[in-house]
Amino acid sequence: MKKLANKSAQIRVIEVFLASFIIAFAFSFANIMTGLPTSPKYEETELEKVGYNTLYDLDKMGLLSRFIYNEEWTNLTAALRVLLPYDVYFNLTIYYLNGTKVNHPPIFYGDPQAFSDSKYVASITYGLVNCPSRVNATYYRAIYEPRTIILQLVRR
Amino acid sequence: MVSAVYDHLVAIVIVGAIFISTVVVVPTLSFINLQTVDQHQLRNLAVNIFNAILLDTGDPVDWGSMDPFYMNDTRIRRFGLASAEASSPYVLDPDKVQRLVVGNPLNYCDYEYIRQLLGLEGYGFQLRILPPFNVTCTDGTPITEKSPIEIDEDELSYSIKVTYLDGTPIPNARVYATIVYASGSDFAITTRPVIYTDALGICSDSIELDFEPEDAIVILRTSVADVVTLIVTFGTTPADDIAEINLVGDTLILTMPDATPRGARWVDYVIPITNEEGLEFIYNGTRSNDDKLNYGSFKVWYKRFNGLQKRNPVVFILAFWTVISGEGRREVLVAGPYQNLLGYTVFEYGESPNIASSSAVRIQRNVIIAGYTYIAEFWLWKK
Repeated sequence: MKKLANKSAQIRVIEVFLASFIIAFAFSFANIMTGLPTSPKYEETELEKVGYNTLYDLDKMGLLSRFIYNEEWTNLTAALRVLLPYDVYFNLTIYYLNGTKVNHPPIFYGDPQAFSDSKYVASITYGLVNCPSRVNATYYRAIYEPRTIILQLVRR
Repeated sequence: MVSAVYDHLVAIVIVGAIFISTVVVVPTLSFINLQTVDQHQLRNLAVNIFNAILLDTGDPVDWGSMDPFYMNDTRIRRFGLASAEASSPYVLDPDKVQRLVVGNPLNYCDYEYIRQLLGLEGYGFQLRILPPFNVTCTDGTPITEKSPIEIDEDELSYSIKVTYLDGTPIPNARVYATIVYASGSDFAITTRPVIYTDALGICSDSIELDFEPEDAIVILRTSVADVVTLIVTFGTTPADDIAEINLVGDTLILTMPDATPRGARWVDYVIPITNEEGLEFIYNGTRSNDDKLNYGSFKVWYKRFNGLQKRNPVVFILAFWTVISGEGRREVLVAGPYQNLLGYTVFEYGESPNIASSSAVRIQRNVIIAGYTYIAEFWLWKK
């Protein structure tokens, strides 16, 4: 009789133990599954803003079209390095309207591994229509020659 | 009976252990989640506030140019640094930026007031405006701490180093120097041919001047891929307390500082430094009462130059005919209004962030002030 009573108590202990474990697990699971807004969205959006701000700034200074249409790749790389935050790597590719690549030497700064390893690569697409060339003191000529710029950014 | 008691005791201990570990683990997990949420909220807040600072003109739209401007002027209903006249974003109004320079003799807005205007009670922030790249002495010392200019009798030389903000040297940076110098009653301006930095980012130049200068200012216009930064540095020890320089709208305002010697001084020349390479005299003084500053009835000198603000002057160089202690009366050069701020960090406004703390958020944007590109950096953290 005594042995039976003991067994019943032991089963209660095991029941309580399992119940507590299930409750604790449920709490932990709920915490892990809920309330985790992911940072990639913010990171990508922020890098996109930085990238667009930089390209727009260069365009506004009249430098972007000059560098691209005159193929001044060294200057373009230097300008991007100067204007982008120093902890950001970039990879810029320029395309003709038909999708052919314009820049054969890569316009690149940073560690190529960072682009392949990082989960958050921001990509900005920027369009240029033409580069006005000065014919004389009062006359400028612009030929419709669009270029598509794709700037990829990743944080170090 | 005794065994049952033991069983219950063991059960109580086990349940107690599970309860305690749950009490410890669950809040820790919740805290990590809350921290993540908090960090995201902080980032969103930082983005919104930074956008408000850089893209909003504030209210009134010309609050930086209000004359008179009072300390922590209560007429400012909304804070923003954007220029009301610019058609594109991220162009800041130099007058508004000037109102953040702590110590501005024509008054400024202090940190607490701006924090209140931005609704950032409970948060700390810092706004930094940096040049896009560094120009330092060859050993890396900021130009604000040590001048890169050396003068030996009538020979002036300088050596500078141009680096990216991470310290990497920039080769082939273009450096164009203009030297303004004076001695006794002599005054002269010399421009130098363009030179370029070497592979180590260093460049040097020397020139024989027309006379041995008592005052010399060198304006170094340095450009990397046509992105320009301007350095205005003294080759000699700058004379203190000659006049305080301020530009409000198109009006240049000079005020007599409270210092000795208290002798009268006359404005001889006014030269604005703009984003164009050439220098131009906008005013030649007459040494009459019209151009006089003293402690009597001529404590303030002001002159309106139509269209001056549109030309985006970054700094002014002024020549004064004044008395220097122990030297007598001579031509003295003064630069302003940002004399001590040009060259390395344009300015830092607010508290210093605790960079080690993971809860501080940093955002960066390119901005244009007076035609020059700078990097605006905003730090926000919870107090």
